[in-house]
Amino acid sequence: MKILVVDDSEAFRKVMIELLVRVGFHEVMEAENFDSAVEVFQREKPKISFVDMVLPGKSGVELTRAMLAVDPKATVIAMSSIINKKLIRESLEAGAKDFLLKPTNEIALNSVLTMWSD
Amino acid sequence: MGFLSRKPKVKKSEESGLGITRKYTLARGRSYVVEESPPNISFDAFVNIISTPEAGGCTRSVGLAISRQHPDFIRQKYGLEQTPIYWLATRTGQEIIAPTNLGILTHTMVSFIDENPCGVILLDGIEYLVSNNDFTKVLRVVDQVNDHIAQSKSIMIIPVDPRAFDLKELALLERNMEKIVSTSKSA
Repeated sequence: MKILVVDDSEAFRKVMIELLVRVGFHEVMEAENFDSAVEVFQREKPKISFVDMVLPGKSGVELTRAMLAVDPKATVIAMSSIINKKLIRESLEAGAKDFLLKPTNEIALNSVLTMWSD
Repeated sequence: MGFLSRKPKVKKSEESGLGITRKYTLARGRSYVVEESPPNISFDAFVNIISTPEAGGCTRSVGLAISRQHPDFIRQKYGLEQTPIYWLATRTGQEIIAPTNLGILTHTMVSFIDENPCGVILLDGIEYLVSNNDFTKVLRVVDQVNDHIAQSKSIMIIPVDPRAFDLKELALLERNMEKIVSTSKSA
């Protein structure tokens, strides 16, 4: 199953990918901003995309809408380093299925993947 | 009777739901130790449980956070609007508990459990408590609250930095509690 990680922090992407590999997901792609994420998403069609809601330029909410316009069956999981209820609500309204607080961990990640990977 | 004269003002206040899924399945009537620093998993679990619906008897949980971190920082980072947060600090004020005042600390947590059958307590800053008291006194507080938890549907989460304790202390602390283990570093 293909997974896409979108975050402007290279360090975060690296550790997130390590975590995903550790819990058994090896086809992991990454992108650092809106444009590269849309490009990777269109090319690779990942089943699950973890999207930071705060990205340089266009936001994670806009990216969520753009991804789901390409593939309405895709699963987008919103991420943020703070719990901003307004932002979470906007993400869910844009079509994100769930939310992960950064930094995340193996327990929370496993739970999300179990819930949404089928 | 000093500590009994100050009644903790722990209001039963539910957080509004976030519309996200439950990520941590912690059993009711149990206390949990999380060996970590900083306490990311503990806070994530605490916020997730009090912000998401639950199947069974406790459809919604009420939280109480006691932390060495300032309440304003916690409210901002974790979006907690209703949850009572006490600051462990050597200052005076309504929502501050002095680290040496273990009586108030115990009373605050026990009262909360008695008043909130589906409560969730986060006790963050046990290292600070130990640096201000004998370890055995702090252990007694944890054990006493744990006994109340065991007779309730509440949950207690205690993040512990294992570097701050020797093996015997860690074993005593974890003796009557479940351990939440994340084998890899956080992302």
